[in-house]
Amino acid sequence: MSRAIAVGRWVALLAVGALACRASARGPRAADEALARLPWGSVVARARGGSVTWLMWRGDPSINKYVDEWVAPRVRERFGIELNPVDGQGAAILNQLVVEREAGHGGTADLLWINGETFANLRRENLLYGPWAQRLPNAQYLDSASSIIMRDFEADPAGYESPWGSVQFALIYDTIRTPEPPRSFAELGTWIQAHPGRFTHDQSFTGISFLKQLMYALGGGVARFQGGFNEDTYRESSELVWAWLRKTSPYFWRKGAAYPADVAALERLFANGEIDFAMSMNQNDVVTKVRQGVLPASAKALVLREGTLANAHFVGIPSDAPHKAAAMVVANFLLSPEAQYQKQRPDVWADGTVLAIERLPREWADSFSRLATDSRAVPRDTLRRYAVPEVNPAYHERIAADWRARVRSGGQ
Amino acid sequence: MRSSRAGLGAALLVATPVLIGMGYMALGALGLIGVGAMGFDLTRIVRVLSERVVWAGLGWSVGVATAATCLALGGAVLVAVTFRATRPGARLAQTLAVLPLPIPYIVAGAAAVLLLGQSGYLARLAHALGLIRTPIQMPALIYDRWGVGLTLTFAWKEFPFLALIAFSLLAVRGAALEEVARTLGADAGETFRRVTWPLLWRGLLPAAISVFIVQVGAYEAAALLAPSAPLALPLLTLERYNDIDLARRADAFVLGFVGLILSVAAVAVYEWTRARWELLDQ
Repeated sequence: MSRAIAVGRWVALLAVGALACRASARGPRAADEALARLPWGSVVARARGGSVTWLMWRGDPSINKYVDEWVAPRVRERFGIELNPVDGQGAAILNQLVVEREAGHGGTADLLWINGETFANLRRENLLYGPWAQRLPNAQYLDSASSIIMRDFEADPAGYESPWGSVQFALIYDTIRTPEPPRSFAELGTWIQAHPGRFTHDQSFTGISFLKQLMYALGGGVARFQGGFNEDTYRESSELVWAWLRKTSPYFWRKGAAYPADVAALERLFANGEIDFAMSMNQNDVVTKVRQGVLPASAKALVLREGTLANAHFVGIPSDAPHKAAAMVVANFLLSPEAQYQKQRPDVWADGTVLAIERLPREWADSFSRLATDSRAVPRDTLRRYAVPEVNPAYHERIAADWRARVRSGGQ
Repeated sequence: MRSSRAGLGAALLVATPVLIGMGYMALGALGLIGVGAMGFDLTRIVRVLSERVVWAGLGWSVGVATAATCLALGGAVLVAVTFRATRPGARLAQTLAVLPLPIPYIVAGAAAVLLLGQSGYLARLAHALGLIRTPIQMPALIYDRWGVGLTLTFAWKEFPFLALIAFSLLAVRGAALEEVARTLGADAGETFRRVTWPLLWRGLLPAAISVFIVQVGAYEAAALLAPSAPLALPLLTLERYNDIDLARRADAFVLGFVGLILSVAAVAVYEWTRARWELLDQ
């Protein structure tokens, strides 16, 4: 009997605890709405003394170094904001925010590094604060003519995220091992068949992006895929991708029976001479990786004639972020010509700017145009000429799911 | 009465986080909670359990964990019997045997990539010896269909844990019992068969079961070494939990239950075995 009572007491205690947590999380969002109307000077004043927990991908030492050793000390010094970068990206961000909302304790993250389907999913789940991005003083310098920066996988950011950088897909090859690299998907297919076991792609975002570009190329160009997801277009053109893979993947690394988990594994295979191509969602990756000694000095970036995916990445603020004002101040600093220039330096991160150079104050415009392009990188004009935009994230979703089911698991 | 209440309290305290996790998982699997939850629905469970990749992944993980556990167990028994406390140099050998114990799985996995990859140290050695000319000629030991590299890594990682238990089993009870057997006229082989081996396997079985369960669910080493097809159960679980398509994320909760049921089954098998040998002992 007493045992039952003890158990009952435990259950009651847990239930009361849970209810108490729920109750404390409720409360008017009036402060947030007021924040959206405050003059910028007041936002900065309110941000002082705050801390910003930033959920971001922490997988690249040069990005970490830029954030930890260049951005963090400056926002501490100038705005009294303590920056606290924490590992978490894409899917994990969404999972964390949903679990935090369910727990009802209020959020822990203030700033998120996001784009594409993560942004779309966060918006769908109402997990983002906004609109705020257009209020940032440095937003005046944004390259607002660029559809790649002002759209996120065809979605309108609508002030719920602020552009941070722009990247473009590139293949990486070794000029010594492959002096005459293929320049189109057709040539690549021929090359793969002539060099069995020397090509593969990874299973993560970058590998799926490679397949998506293949789908654009085989399916008649990116224009066919623009303006929302179309089931028929997807069916027809994905069939062409599966047919291409049926013909080509037996000549892949491990005969297409195994695929590296991520870009890091792919780069390791490339650096160790097991395969002849790596790929990256940042056209300048090759420059930084050669400097770090991760890739051989003879490595170079390459874009295929059919075009190369270009997209922007953004920062957003969760709707239950504890320090929204501080997060906005950090986002504004990230958008400053100074921070964007530092980020684009090849010896720092080599991440493309989202600012329009011609809109910048003279001295910054000069600095940007003086940024030397490394001979390993694809020239800026070539990149611009071959840039193709991202389309509705549903295409990415579907091709990822179908590739896993039909190709990876050997179901072809 | 007092002590049993305290015991219950302590048990609850330990079990509460697990029970909450299981509760959350159950609600998630039923579509009541979590990302992409759309209300009570049993079809998810049916759909996940009818997927071929799920059973292929489960079978693969069970196979690798079984092979690794057997290897580790065999190694532990061999080392424990060979390096008895009475032999010279045994202490050193015992210390060396348990050395990998504190090494994290992720480090063991990374070491295996460096050592066993087709461009790893073994491949480089084979190349230096003129056995192979290109990486492709080196047999695939990682990302391979049969999980050879992962099995070896798991076995290497868990062997010291089992060896440690084997050492103490023999040190505490082995010597005396064996001496009695010898006095009664048993030869070395008989002593091993009748005394040492039963003592070891009964003592090691619970540890082996827990090693097996840990390995079926171990993520880090699998992420570094396992192939993309079949996809090991822990990799499949996380892939679903992070799926771009929100509707598929709760699949991970169902897969979590698959892992849980497997663990419970392993413990049940152990309990059944123990009950049988206790019956035999009487």
